[in-house]
Amino acid sequence: MELICVGLNHRTAPVEVRELFAVAPSKLGEAARDLREQLGVEEAVVVSTCNRTEIYVAGEALAIAKLQEILGGEEHCYQSNRMEAAVHLCRVASGLDSMVLGETEIFGQVKNAYQAALEAGVTGGVLNRLFQKSFSVGKKVRTETGIQEGATSIGNVAVDLAEKIFGHLKDSKVMILGAGEMSRVTAQSLQSRGAHSIFVANRSYDRALDLAQQMNGQAVRFDDWQLVLEQVDVVIGSTGAPHVIVQKADVEAVRRKRKYRPLFFIDIAVPRDIDPAVAEIEEVYLYDIDTLEQIASEARVRRAKQIELCEEMIREELGKAKLLGL
Amino acid sequence: MIAVHVWRVMDRTVLMISTLLALAGALWGAVTVHRGLRTRWTLGLIAGAFAAQLVFLDLRGEARGACPLRDLGEILVFLAWALTLFYLIVGRSYRLSLVGLFTAPVVVVFQVLALWPGVMTQSPERVAGVDAWREAHAAVSVLAYGAFALAAVTGVMFLVLDHQLKEHHLRSGLFRDLPPVRELLASVKRLLWIGFGLLTVGIVAGFMMPHRGGWSHFIAAVVVWLLYGGLLLLQQWRGITGRKLSMVVVVLFLLSFGVFFAV
Repeated sequence: MELICVGLNHRTAPVEVRELFAVAPSKLGEAARDLREQLGVEEAVVVSTCNRTEIYVAGEALAIAKLQEILGGEEHCYQSNRMEAAVHLCRVASGLDSMVLGETEIFGQVKNAYQAALEAGVTGGVLNRLFQKSFSVGKKVRTETGIQEGATSIGNVAVDLAEKIFGHLKDSKVMILGAGEMSRVTAQSLQSRGAHSIFVANRSYDRALDLAQQMNGQAVRFDDWQLVLEQVDVVIGSTGAPHVIVQKADVEAVRRKRKYRPLFFIDIAVPRDIDPAVAEIEEVYLYDIDTLEQIASEARVRRAKQIELCEEMIREELGKAKLLGL
Repeated sequence: MIAVHVWRVMDRTVLMISTLLALAGALWGAVTVHRGLRTRWTLGLIAGAFAAQLVFLDLRGEARGACPLRDLGEILVFLAWALTLFYLIVGRSYRLSLVGLFTAPVVVVFQVLALWPGVMTQSPERVAGVDAWREAHAAVSVLAYGAFALAAVTGVMFLVLDHQLKEHHLRSGLFRDLPPVRELLASVKRLLWIGFGLLTVGIVAGFMMPHRGGWSHFIAAVVVWLLYGGLLLLQQWRGITGRKLSMVVVVLFLLSFGVFFAV
């Protein structure tokens, strides 16, 4: 008895190809049953999500080419057999093969795909044990490693910090100084987590208007940014100015009106937009681009180590399991 | 005679069990946070400590025939109970699970002090002529101190998080598990209002009760009430930084607690 996995995912196939082979969750059992009849295999499971469609089959004298044909030929397909197929399934269930590393949704999707095949009566000794094992390995990877921890980009680090200060960002207001790409990306990250009021101040008012429109925000004349400082919670500095824009005195001037609420400055400009002395103010948290990059880089290093640890864990667990078909 | 001895040992035994459960909660919480894991055991252990506190207070209350607030030991246990109660109600509802980790050591300290030889009366005597105003004053005031104690605990949590954010020390398990700055500050303010409301009731009851031993205790309570009231007024009207609010809440609790027992 042999085990084979054939599939395509976000790395091997563009969305217009992936959508051709996507299977609705309600049809997964039926698809596995059709596959078994069509190929004459003994066991089959079809896993299908927005980022992947994969077929796991077990049987005698399996023809990989036939399986690839089902997924549109070998151009966008990858395949593995025996131990490598088992390792691949465990990586998928653990979120190691996902677009967002360590995401948890895939675990439930693989479980549903297996359940559908089980209910359709197309699984047996090989795939039952393999999928059960992949679920226990997936749980172990998530609970015993820090694969999901730490933001790895400057934008995400800034958003994580903002959430550590303000909790849900739905009540938070953001001001962007400078209408550059970096500030747009960072503000969008904040917006994606709920920040609703975005103010854009830029030397060129037209560019401020343009960016404000893109973000459903409000443009502010550059000379008026101090007035807006009273009401915002987060300030992103990203101008191309050769000197400091926000001085300590600017913040001191609005402290009383702000009732000393916490204020988070994200300075991603070089040269810096925000005077480092601003951080001396009690309720101010200031992070410049070097600090943010250092945090992101540390997280990347930690994550790379965690991936190695996960891979080792998967192979060790599969080695101990002595599954059929490997 | 034997029954009396068993009973005498029983209340202390129950209190020791409660203290050990709170200690286990504190230690287990610290270990799991250090390892970067999450646990529900801290809550379970503190809930167990709370149940044992209830049994202790019930035993002492039965013996006294009144609210068990007649000696320093009983007051300390009642205060630990109030602190735990507010943690279980307020801390849980605001999803401040980590409050348990910070609350448990305070509960342990209060109860160890209560168990210290000579602090708690070994054989509590039945109280003759219970006065309802005095009972209400004592019970509600200690509940208020429970809320102020938890506000101080939450203030300490804020100070830790504030330091970590300011100094960019973001890698510890504690940093990851601490609730956001805004939630901590909101929680401190809510607890202050709850404590202030309860203390107001306690003060009114204290005014109505007989003052055979003089008014110094009542005056001390009014001074504490004025200080907390002033802080709330300042915070509401003018605003105050999170760091100052937290520091004042911690200092005020320690100070008022000390003054309260000294008078």
